[in-house]
Amino acid sequence: MERERFGKHAVLFEPLLHTRPAFYLAVAILVLVFLWGAVAYIYQFTTGLGATGLNLPIPWGVYIINFIFFIAIGFGGTLTSAILRIFNAQWRTPITRAAELITVCGVIFGTINVVFALAKPERLLNLFFYMRPRSPLIWDVTAIGSYLVLSLIYLYLPMIPDIARLRDTFPRRKRFYRFLALGWTGSEKQKKLLERVIGLLAVLMIPTAVAVHSVLAWIFSMTIRPMWHSTIFGPYFIMGAVFSGIGALIVVMAILRRLLHLEDYLKPLHFNNMGILLLVMSIAWLYFTVAEYLTVFYGNEHSEMVVFWAKLTGEFAPHFWAQVLTCFVIPFALLISRRTRTIAGTVIAGISVVIGMWLERYLILIPTLGRPMLPYPQPSYTPNWIEWSVMAACVAAIALIFVIFAKFFPLVSVWEIEEEEAHAAAGGHQEAVAPAKGEALADAS
Amino acid sequence: MAQLTRRAFLKLAAATAAAGGLYKLGMIRLDSLAAPEAALPGPVADRRLLGTCHLCAGGCGLSGRIVDGRLIKLDGNPFHPNNQGKLCPKGQAGQQVLYDPDRLKGPMRRVEGGWQQVSWDEALSEIADALRGLRASGHPERLAFLHDGKRGPTSDLIARFCRAFGTPNDLHAPRHSADGTGLAHWVSQGWNDHAAYDWENTDYFLCFGGAFLEAWQPLTRQLRAYARMRRGRPGRRARIVQIEPRASVTATKADEWIPIRPGTEGALALGIAHVIIREGLYDADFVAEHVFGFDDWSDQAGQQHMGFRSLVLRDYSPGQVAQITGVPAETIRRLAREFAAARPAAVAAGDVGGYTNSLYSQWAIHALNALVGSIDAPGGVLRQVEPPLAPWPEVVPDEIAARGLAQPRVDGAGGPGAPLAEHAPHRRTEEPEAPWPVDVLFLYHSNPLYDDPPGVGWAERLANTRLVVSFSPYLDETSALADLLLPDCTYLEKWFLEPLEPSLGYPAVGLGRPLVEPLYDTRNTGDVLIQLARALGDPIAAAFPWPHFVAALEERVKGLYQSGRGLPTAESWEAFWAEFQSRAVWYDPQYEFGQWERVLATPSGRFELASPQLKARLEAVGLRVTDQDLLPHFVPPAFEGEEAAYPFTLRTFKPITYAERWNGNIPWLQEIYGLHVQERWDSWVELNPETAHELGIRDGERVRVESVAGSIELRARLWPGTPPDVVSIPLGHGRAAGGRWSEGFGANPNALLAALADPLSGELATQSTRVRIVKL
Amino acid sequence: MPRWGMVIDLDKCTACQACSVACMAENNAPLVGRDESLHNRAITWHYVLPEVEEGDYPYFHARFLPRPCFHCAEPPCVKVCPVGATYVDEEGLVLVNYDRCIGCKYCVTSCPYGVRYVNWRHYHWPEPMEQYLNPEVPLRPEGVVEKCTFCIHRLRRAQEEAAAQGRQLTDAELVLLPACNQACPASARYFGDLDDPESTVSRLARNPRAFRVLEDLGTEPCVYYLAEEKN
Repeated sequence: MERERFGKHAVLFEPLLHTRPAFYLAVAILVLVFLWGAVAYIYQFTTGLGATGLNLPIPWGVYIINFIFFIAIGFGGTLTSAILRIFNAQWRTPITRAAELITVCGVIFGTINVVFALAKPERLLNLFFYMRPRSPLIWDVTAIGSYLVLSLIYLYLPMIPDIARLRDTFPRRKRFYRFLALGWTGSEKQKKLLERVIGLLAVLMIPTAVAVHSVLAWIFSMTIRPMWHSTIFGPYFIMGAVFSGIGALIVVMAILRRLLHLEDYLKPLHFNNMGILLLVMSIAWLYFTVAEYLTVFYGNEHSEMVVFWAKLTGEFAPHFWAQVLTCFVIPFALLISRRTRTIAGTVIAGISVVIGMWLERYLILIPTLGRPMLPYPQPSYTPNWIEWSVMAACVAAIALIFVIFAKFFPLVSVWEIEEEEAHAAAGGHQEAVAPAKGEALADAS
Repeated sequence: MAQLTRRAFLKLAAATAAAGGLYKLGMIRLDSLAAPEAALPGPVADRRLLGTCHLCAGGCGLSGRIVDGRLIKLDGNPFHPNNQGKLCPKGQAGQQVLYDPDRLKGPMRRVEGGWQQVSWDEALSEIADALRGLRASGHPERLAFLHDGKRGPTSDLIARFCRAFGTPNDLHAPRHSADGTGLAHWVSQGWNDHAAYDWENTDYFLCFGGAFLEAWQPLTRQLRAYARMRRGRPGRRARIVQIEPRASVTATKADEWIPIRPGTEGALALGIAHVIIREGLYDADFVAEHVFGFDDWSDQAGQQHMGFRSLVLRDYSPGQVAQITGVPAETIRRLAREFAAARPAAVAAGDVGGYTNSLYSQWAIHALNALVGSIDAPGGVLRQVEPPLAPWPEVVPDEIAARGLAQPRVDGAGGPGAPLAEHAPHRRTEEPEAPWPVDVLFLYHSNPLYDDPPGVGWAERLANTRLVVSFSPYLDETSALADLLLPDCTYLEKWFLEPLEPSLGYPAVGLGRPLVEPLYDTRNTGDVLIQLARALGDPIAAAFPWPHFVAALEERVKGLYQSGRGLPTAESWEAFWAEFQSRAVWYDPQYEFGQWERVLATPSGRFELASPQLKARLEAVGLRVTDQDLLPHFVPPAFEGEEAAYPFTLRTFKPITYAERWNGNIPWLQEIYGLHVQERWDSWVELNPETAHELGIRDGERVRVESVAGSIELRARLWPGTPPDVVSIPLGHGRAAGGRWSEGFGANPNALLAALADPLSGELATQSTRVRIVKL
Repeated sequence: MPRWGMVIDLDKCTACQACSVACMAENNAPLVGRDESLHNRAITWHYVLPEVEEGDYPYFHARFLPRPCFHCAEPPCVKVCPVGATYVDEEGLVLVNYDRCIGCKYCVTSCPYGVRYVNWRHYHWPEPMEQYLNPEVPLRPEGVVEKCTFCIHRLRRAQEEAAAQGRQLTDAELVLLPACNQACPASARYFGDLDDPESTVSRLARNPRAFRVLEDLGTEPCVYYLAEEKN
């Protein structure tokens, strides 16, 4: 009967209709992890930031790494939903909503990590009462705030037609969906307006995202610390965000494809395209890294070389070379040849990149802080259980958001797929995504 | 909504960008909103009280800032000539000594499993009973009093008590910086004491291991003098050459560091003397007028003996000395010429204590001063004038006491084992079957279980002593084994006098006084001794006719008033006493040079480079002496531990943050403990970087240091000022008691020391142990 | 307006560290204890730095640098504070408003000299140690950043007293004003007005031996050092 309600894309509404036992188990585990992290943070809040492994000269650690890391992951969403939209890459349509949700989650949890990193979080509002625009952190507040608002809108607006459909097909939740549907009737006028606004937002998102990652980078490069004070940081972080964003996106796509049976929508073609993008970014990563390190090495400036050697051969060599392996060697090996650029291949590459880019942030932060220019007694930083627990809680929370979102809204933008099919049938556009096996899949519930 | 044309969009975008840009630029205007200044609490009403520090033997004057009866800052007493308003970091940290949360709060008695509070009356009556018992049994000599022997009325009071009671066992515990110096001066100039130095006018300081900027002699005066030597005299900058096996902070600040094989400093001094004599660079007039033994001499029996010149020219050429010391011959020549050229404002001095040849080494070093005529000259070596403190009436011991005083001391000082020593409580004199013959032991300002090598056997001694009483203000390793604790007040809470240790040459006496009311039920040990004496009744009580210690001190201070010299002066005794209290120091800043009878108080009335009185003393205890034994000469130092098994010589040292004989429960000092290696709250062992590399030991790695006497574990640190075959460990950690900030971390290098001693002076040879390093 | 600065003569300095202890005593340095200190959480507004360079044994070079906050004229820390908790006052002092600091520690990471410290926990003084606290210096709450203030409380008190007498502070009154200067046994430290060309600090800052730390970073530190000599 649902199939009749939802037509040939019924599989996209499966999660809203049926809840398997695995769902409850997953939610239980995620909630537990989240609560554990919450307890860890409460302990930190009551004891002081000293409950973590932070110290001097390394007062920034896992929280700030995650701040950058999560927001950067979100760039994948912006890339897919906004940038690729502008370039009219139709193949991205099944991915956009999930991607945008990644962005929103990334921005939220990235930002929340800054609050965790504060030694006096109860004074958080001082950031607004006494804002000093000269500080790069305030640039962050501004840019990320704008980015968050835009991303939320950009997530929400394209959901409206689907919400309206749910309003009309889910009597039990009618009031909920009606509230959110904002009186959508599907008229030509409304459609045109929606297209326009989405188009405008897509355009606005790009400079906003660029601004966000630039100011994230400028937190570091606006100081005069060795290997921070570098002009390459702005572009480097943008590139890094695109890179890790795509990697994360690939992983999320693969998971959703498996869990929600989206094989007809997320095809090897998508992974192939994203894989190519990932490869291009991996090469770009290599270029930026070489440019940065070669410049430092050639300049041979003392305090920079201390950090340089600490990374290449010293205390941080394991992290550095692991990063090279995960950010370049593995992705390149897997993605250069079509034979290995399968779904499995790109997913492995994606996971590798995500790990590698976390290491990248670690390598930006810790070696420079750990090699102050004036003599310091034995700097060292080891994150402890609180920081890891909080990080796990963030990941669990993101997963939880996805899981619950999927219960209320389709993770794939159904109306956009249907529109494309309509366009394709009318003739002219690039690949349409036609579920040849749609009918057969409907049996698998 | 109206259609959004491309143009409109572009306008909007441009406007947004412009606004953003202006916003960012406009920040400059927003920044001008000044942040309200962090509220300052505002000034408070305070008063200043002056007193004296006791964290080392320096005796610097203190100035305490008191607010509502609380000591909120310590600075130096501006009136005290030694420190003139300044304090070393230990003195600055005195507040944490006073407000130490782990201090004893009153008398305690040891009970099963811990301590029990007792009243002073109870404790004192128990001790009085025990003491009466000793007198009654006719063995007053079975009382021993182990204390720091710090010059001043407290030590005098203790000596008085021992004399009146009838025990010869007034034992001075050795300071770690005890070196052969006192006896070297006795041998050469006739007085057993450290010397005073006119640093402020010195042009050349040949320093043999003296930790000039960290310890050694009154530190704060040395710190002040250093600045003056460097930049206080326009056009004149003193040259400091530091000769020692390990580069201390002093060596690092010196103009030159000369590494030398441990224990061979005396040979180097003689090598320098050789060059000075051979090249005729010595002060011939001074030698002719004031030196004995330079040339060959004959004794009273008419026998000929070798003189200094003959010995030095024969045995200590630069080549020979280079072999012994490891210092290149050319360096020896250069130093000799530099030193002599700076005369008479040239000083050779230092701290070569801790070897088995310390006396002769120190004598050799001091001899250089005689050669260049810097004895009692501006910029040279002086003899400290004692302040004219009036003596207390003499004690005439009664019969029981006289018999007790005639007994031999338990440490055998002055006997064949330590013929020149006046005190040697660390010596193991017990026969295997007979335990240490002490029934009652008083401990004041001494912690031998921490300070002495384990081979001395203090734990056994204390176990075999019936009644051990400690006056320590806190629990330490030794007082933890006591039976009764009678905590002294800290120096910030009590009255005492602190005559200046040899330093300035002219006399000074600091007044210690309470800067705050005593925090707890503690008593000035001086008061306690008087109370104890009273409890014992006559004749002992008669020797202590004062109601309290301050009255006893006043009697001594009267002498300063009566001398009519120095500052303050006053018209009446009452006015003097009031003025003395308000300035907390008396001093007489005139040093008369050339008082040769006082300065050269030897039998010959000269500086003795050959010592007939040494001959007499040694022969009196049955030792045979050769000509060489009567001259400064190089005695190869003995080390404990075979070189093959223990390839490194261990040096222990006192960083400036180490307060000897205090419990170290001082967080401020722990925080800055080892400046040159940025160590805090821990011990470490310094290795030469090459050596460490060969052993495969990285900076910061934990290692074990082993000697024949024991082993300890601590972190290895690489210090380039370490010779390849030397390792160095600082003192001050590895405590088993003392408080929450000093217990249970680091390691005590004294646990590694062999119980060796200089055979003549009897002093502990703390730098004579060989060790090996084991990677963990 | 005066611009406060300091000169430290390394040729007179004995590396005794009395300055560091005096600062901790005067300014109510939080007592972090051994565990926290070994975890690099000690709060030492003033600290003496050893700069050691190995050479061919027995030659090596070591220099000891007493290091307060340099109160830079171009402070990188002030630029980055998002709430203006750290600021420069009119007399050039770089200060922290403890009531406003949110503990983001951006100022800590941007200071190239490492002079800024964090209250990682609520540090307290066990009884009876709170009795030695200086009532003229505010206690800092957990979570905020703190650092050397050039003993601003002493400065304000002296300025107020002078103003009450209708005069300015003299150079002589200023030279030993901060606790570190006052404590220095070698009298190696000087404090005063760098904008007064005749003040002691200005004259010494013009001395050929004078240098500043990491000058080429452009921070314009207001603490000058006079280089050590060897003869």
